[in-house]
Amino acid sequence: MFKLFEREALSVEEFSKEQTSVDVRHLCVSLNAKKVLNDISIRIPKNKITALIGQSGCGKTTLLNSFNRMNEFISTHEISGEVWIDNRNIYDKRERVSRLRSQIGMVFQRPNPFPMSIYDNVSFGLRIQGEKRRRFLDDSVEKALRNAALWDEVRDRLFESALTLSGGQQQRLMIARALALEPKVLLLDEPTSALDPLTTLYIEELMVALKQQCTLIIVTHNMQQAARVSDYAAFIHKGELIEYSDSDSLFTMPNKQQTEDYITGRYG
Amino acid sequence: MRRQMQLNTHISAKYNQELENLKHSVLTMGGVLEQQLVNTLVALKENAPSLAERVALNDSRIDSMESQVEQECMRIIAKRNPTAGDLRLVMTVSKTATDLERIGDEIARVAKLVTKDRIPASDIVLSGMMDIGNRNVAMMRATFDAFARQDDKAAVIAHKLDTQIDKVYKKVIEQTAAEIQSSPQDIAIWMDVLWAIRSFERIGDRCKNICEYVIYLTYGRDLHSSSMKKTVKKLLK
Repeated sequence: MFKLFEREALSVEEFSKEQTSVDVRHLCVSLNAKKVLNDISIRIPKNKITALIGQSGCGKTTLLNSFNRMNEFISTHEISGEVWIDNRNIYDKRERVSRLRSQIGMVFQRPNPFPMSIYDNVSFGLRIQGEKRRRFLDDSVEKALRNAALWDEVRDRLFESALTLSGGQQQRLMIARALALEPKVLLLDEPTSALDPLTTLYIEELMVALKQQCTLIIVTHNMQQAARVSDYAAFIHKGELIEYSDSDSLFTMPNKQQTEDYITGRYG
Repeated sequence: MRRQMQLNTHISAKYNQELENLKHSVLTMGGVLEQQLVNTLVALKENAPSLAERVALNDSRIDSMESQVEQECMRIIAKRNPTAGDLRLVMTVSKTATDLERIGDEIARVAKLVTKDRIPASDIVLSGMMDIGNRNVAMMRATFDAFARQDDKAAVIAHKLDTQIDKVYKKVIEQTAAEIQSSPQDIAIWMDVLWAIRSFERIGDRCKNICEYVIYLTYGRDLHSSSMKKTVKKLLK
């Protein structure tokens, strides 16, 4: 058949082991004795953007936090199941959390720059890891800022306080801070909800460019954003994974009625 | 107000590309259709049923293209939430694809007539059909050119070409009616001839629709609306 349009997305059943970045197997999470995630199994592909969508409290942020063991900050948490990232079960007892978190970057809803210079913010993670070589740090900071599409705006004021940057710039700085460690996976928890529509589009375009370097997983309440930016999307409801497929299919012809109701705004 | 569409200025480069591809898909369909029509005219002129058969079979390719364009329009609406000029472009492409698919059907109908063993029509009718067909080719080219450049003036000029097609059509139909009376025993095949002539005339109408979509894309208004009459006059000056 003559093809007018190229499609790059594989169906979610087709991912090979090599194409999978995060492999979640029967994950159950309880927080404060309440089951938040129930038997989630999902394979997230490498170098793609996967969106987690669902109502507030459905468990999507808990799932995101499971990928870098952030849920462990809650003392009453209980976790069963496995999360494999690059052929390592991150919940294995031998796994070092600090090493894991250096490979899994995270950007939050509101930018949280440290009260220090732009340069120090970006190089912070590397310094924590013991990196002291000045030349290496300089190169890493420049590379990270370039990748976060911020270099041209801040190259002349790297040693000014990061707090002087605008909201959009601060959020890109947070992305640069995460990228400086060259993470395999970048987790984004509603990264644009505090930004204006135009800055949002710039961040989304940045995310698309970052696919070349790492796997991106985004939690968003903005359905249009999930549709625009993601290659794959998972709909979670009350701690259950209802549907997971390529975004083209999920947003035009979802398989489950629950998904259809949610994305068309009929969920009551 | 006249709007010039700038497809390459979105923040999202991928969205730019998607809209460009969408526009390009219409032109690809148009190119295939133009070739289909030219082949049909060659088959009609040289009485080449095998070529006509190939044209008729090739129609499924046009149907598949239309379906792909429709799906892509739906995908872009769902995923990109297009607004203003982008939305008009997506709607225009969707409607144009439908018209192009119908043009494909009309061409296939004429091609099927050429595959018949015998066409009772005289040379006058056949050359009349050739005349309409050649005018159709010219109108299709002008229409796709107006679409490609989103040129409102070119669209209005192409739109006018249908008037001549209608005049020739009327003459050919009158001649055909006279010939039917002289050989009523061939009424079944005459019906096919009449449908084929009608199909040729409909191609002009479909091109006219596409010209109207180009105007809609530029002005956001219907060509026949009272507010457009002055604009059309100005464009034709």
